[in-house]
Amino acid sequence: MQTFLQYTILGLALGGAYFIAASGLVVTYTTSGIFNFAQGAIAMLAVFTYWQFRWGWGWPAPLALLMVLGILAPLLGAVLYQVVMKNLRGTSEVTKIIVSIGVMLGLQALATWVWNPTSSTPRQFQKFFGPKAFAHVGSLTIPWHIIISFAIAIAIAFGIRFLFVRTRSGVAMRAVVDDPELLQLNGGRPERLAMISWAGGSFLAALAGILIQPMIGSAMSAGALTLLVIDAFAAAMFGRLRSLPRTFMGALVIGLTTTYVVAYFPSKWTWSSAFHNSLPMIFLFIVLLVLPQDRLRGATVLRLRERFRMPSIRTAWIAGLTMMIVVFCLKVIMAKTGVNTLTLALTFAIIALSLVLLTGFAGEINLAALSFGAIAVMVVYHFGISGTGAGARTTLWGILLAAVVTALVGALIALPALRLRGLYLALATMAFGVFVSRMVLTERNERELFGWKFTIFTAGQLTIPRPKIGPIDFNGQDAFLFLCAGLFVVIGIGMVYLRHSGYGRRLTAMKDSPAASATLGMSVIRLKLSIFMMSAAIAGIGGVMMAAQVGTVNADRFDIFLSLALMMITVVGGIGYVSGALFAGIFLIAFIEALNLLLKKFAVDYSTLEAIFMFFVSAVTVLPATIGITMGKNPSGAVSDIVDGMNLVKQSKSLMITVIGLEAAIWVLTATEVITNWNFVILTLANLILVPMIGGKILMARAMRGVPKPVPPEFIGIDRPFTDEDLAAMDQALNLDGVVIPSSTTVREEPANASA
Amino acid sequence: MSEVHYHEDHGAVAGAPLVELVDVRAAYGTIEVLHGINLSVPQGSVVALLGPNGAGKSTILKVVSGLLQPTAGEVRLAGRVVNGASADELARIGLCTIPEGRGVFPNLTVRENLWMATMAGVSLAEVEEIAYARFPRLGERRKQLAGTMSGGEQQMLSMARALSVNPSVLLLDELSMGLAPLVVANLYEIVAQVSQEGVSILVSEQFARTVLGIAQYAAIVLHGNITRVGTPAELEDELSAAYLGS
Repeated sequence: MQTFLQYTILGLALGGAYFIAASGLVVTYTTSGIFNFAQGAIAMLAVFTYWQFRWGWGWPAPLALLMVLGILAPLLGAVLYQVVMKNLRGTSEVTKIIVSIGVMLGLQALATWVWNPTSSTPRQFQKFFGPKAFAHVGSLTIPWHIIISFAIAIAIAFGIRFLFVRTRSGVAMRAVVDDPELLQLNGGRPERLAMISWAGGSFLAALAGILIQPMIGSAMSAGALTLLVIDAFAAAMFGRLRSLPRTFMGALVIGLTTTYVVAYFPSKWTWSSAFHNSLPMIFLFIVLLVLPQDRLRGATVLRLRERFRMPSIRTAWIAGLTMMIVVFCLKVIMAKTGVNTLTLALTFAIIALSLVLLTGFAGEINLAALSFGAIAVMVVYHFGISGTGAGARTTLWGILLAAVVTALVGALIALPALRLRGLYLALATMAFGVFVSRMVLTERNERELFGWKFTIFTAGQLTIPRPKIGPIDFNGQDAFLFLCAGLFVVIGIGMVYLRHSGYGRRLTAMKDSPAASATLGMSVIRLKLSIFMMSAAIAGIGGVMMAAQVGTVNADRFDIFLSLALMMITVVGGIGYVSGALFAGIFLIAFIEALNLLLKKFAVDYSTLEAIFMFFVSAVTVLPATIGITMGKNPSGAVSDIVDGMNLVKQSKSLMITVIGLEAAIWVLTATEVITNWNFVILTLANLILVPMIGGKILMARAMRGVPKPVPPEFIGIDRPFTDEDLAAMDQALNLDGVVIPSSTTVREEPANASA
Repeated sequence: MSEVHYHEDHGAVAGAPLVELVDVRAAYGTIEVLHGINLSVPQGSVVALLGPNGAGKSTILKVVSGLLQPTAGEVRLAGRVVNGASADELARIGLCTIPEGRGVFPNLTVRENLWMATMAGVSLAEVEEIAYARFPRLGERRKQLAGTMSGGEQQMLSMARALSVNPSVLLLDELSMGLAPLVVANLYEIVAQVSQEGVSILVSEQFARTVLGIAQYAAIVLHGNITRVGTPAELEDELSAAYLGS
């Protein structure tokens, strides 16, 4: 009984802290419609800052609390809203999710940068009033910290409810979500209210972090702390991001069950610690499964800022061929480490292809692509390798089996997807990813089930050899590079074909309006299930290739944060395009690596400026997240910008010849070792970016000379008469190839011109 | 181009103008949709904006309410230029706008909806008193979520705000949208009453008949221009031309 009471109180306090974090999510979601994935990261940052003030610099606790909770945390929330989240109105769910994930990864990188995790002195975080402050209630001894936590949670629950129901500002905060414009017409200030709510949400996150950290008692780690508060997502979901009482109940259930698992599971169950860690994620998954059905949307067509063009099949073939040639040319001049990095980048690009298929084509979200890769790798390790030692090879059948198994697991995860969309699905996949990391990839011991002995993630690391397919052995690095490049091209072109097929059009239709699709007689369920399976299989194949490139992989290779970063960068690259996936792989692996090496090389070469260059080395870790955050401004992705720039090159033959000629010259100089590889990289970037830019300017200036100021299309015919060019442009825009409009006399005189 | 501008009609409306638009141009992105609007709403009168879909009626109201900034020209309120003022600032100084088709917050209760109206400076008790007296049905449903009420009841709720905040200017956008004719007639009766209390009203409508019964002046909007201003009687003939083409 004594134990039970003790653990119940502990569980209530933990649940209380979860509730505080979850209520912050509810507050920001209620007022801005953005689910803040960065909530955990804000809590983490607050914990580190508080530690710095309290123990790093020895401030008294009240001062440190005032500084963190009263000033810094609300300020961070307000700034986040003003600088980042405000721009997200009218963007798709994917963009909203990606931007807040970007903030999360950014804050995490920042914390690792400032508070070096490999520092020699461990950072100790203590309970309020020190580790020995106990209250004696009857026969129980309870730390004051625990009592304080639970009391604060209850106070906050009542406080928020009062705010949202009994104060005009609180009601107005709810009104902002319904219709910010209408609130403005009422005389309210929606922007200010949303900013205040973000400040409040950030405050709650910080408070939760400071309360939870000493309850866990482990050393402070940026990743673990971020994920810890993510456990609160389950509680927020239980309250469907609206109801505070239900959120409170959900949080208590999570807090209590996790502490009871610690208390009552027999210690010989070696998996109970992993189970304890993954419990909130299991809870989240179940909550999402039983959540009442989301209504099919479709009554209003959402006007989104995202725009994706569909590439033609011809373009896809040309691009594929070009890519193979480019890879070959790069291989010739690259050092061995360079080839390794490029191959790894391509394997990540293949995994990113699964995201393009799922999110770009079908509008569904998967935040745990690498977890599917992990499953495929485990299948290959156990069933897909022939030979031993240096002669071991991954078999084709092994890869295919892995693809099938991941597809089936994908189908299982897609179960909630059949009913859920957007945010809820994203959370379900994230729960799956964290579950795989915490429960499956920690399965290192031998288990016995019905007399069958097996280990899942043997010894914490799996060795995956290169594949041998038929007579072709891809063991050599160059051969494997071409295999990966070829695989990317084949899957990529396949996806473009798919996009052009009836199936692809059905996917787009489903993405735009599931309700309309269903009324047209499509089986939305079959579509969703099939696309999820296909996507999971591609992620699995990519994961196997990644493992085969690395050689021996451990659990860190499939980290949820890596999955999130890959998803984010793919969205940055352009989630609607195959090239967006390539961008993601190259950027996340090769570009960051190259930038790092280049900066370190500079630091060595120019030792007087070493500090500055090493600063930039750290800054590079924050770079991907920073780029993710900017998505709010251009939701169609960077590739779409690059493509727009390239259009200039396409339109002018002379410019195209200049660019290709220069590039060839640079390549020849590098191949003959006249210039170094670094100069090749710099010159190539200059050639691909600066030449079209300058050339475009010159061409534009030349074209503009003698041409009058353009007349907006709606004024043509009013301000000046229609010309042949206008009619031709109109025909092109309306897809009326060769239609001759007979009313214009000039057209009638020269019919050849009109159809040109 | 000149045939679509009617600058000379600018003076046709008599009385001291409370709302005045002078050569107002407005654009969505790069596409200009209002090409120089001149319009006055005299104090205490009802001015109807008539015209087909996409003519620019709602855009004119958006510009006046402060939701859309004009790219050129002046918007005047009681003689002062209010270009650049935000919608919430204008709302707090006595401009009440009922936007098209969605004048309520669906996830707030009736009472909470009325509470939002108090930002213009009236107390909640006063707003509730006026609203429930005029629409007893709202009083019965004060704790119901506005989104769960019928279209007519929702429009009552938005009208209740217009009645209770005591505005000097009322902007109504497509009041009749999606409502039964009887409800529409009822609503316009209220509009007429409000106008008799000295409120200046600018109302846009596709269905001209009902609104012409209470409007002192009407302006025909076509392709982003005001093509004609006059009393309802003067405009009878031209209306059909505006809708059906001559």
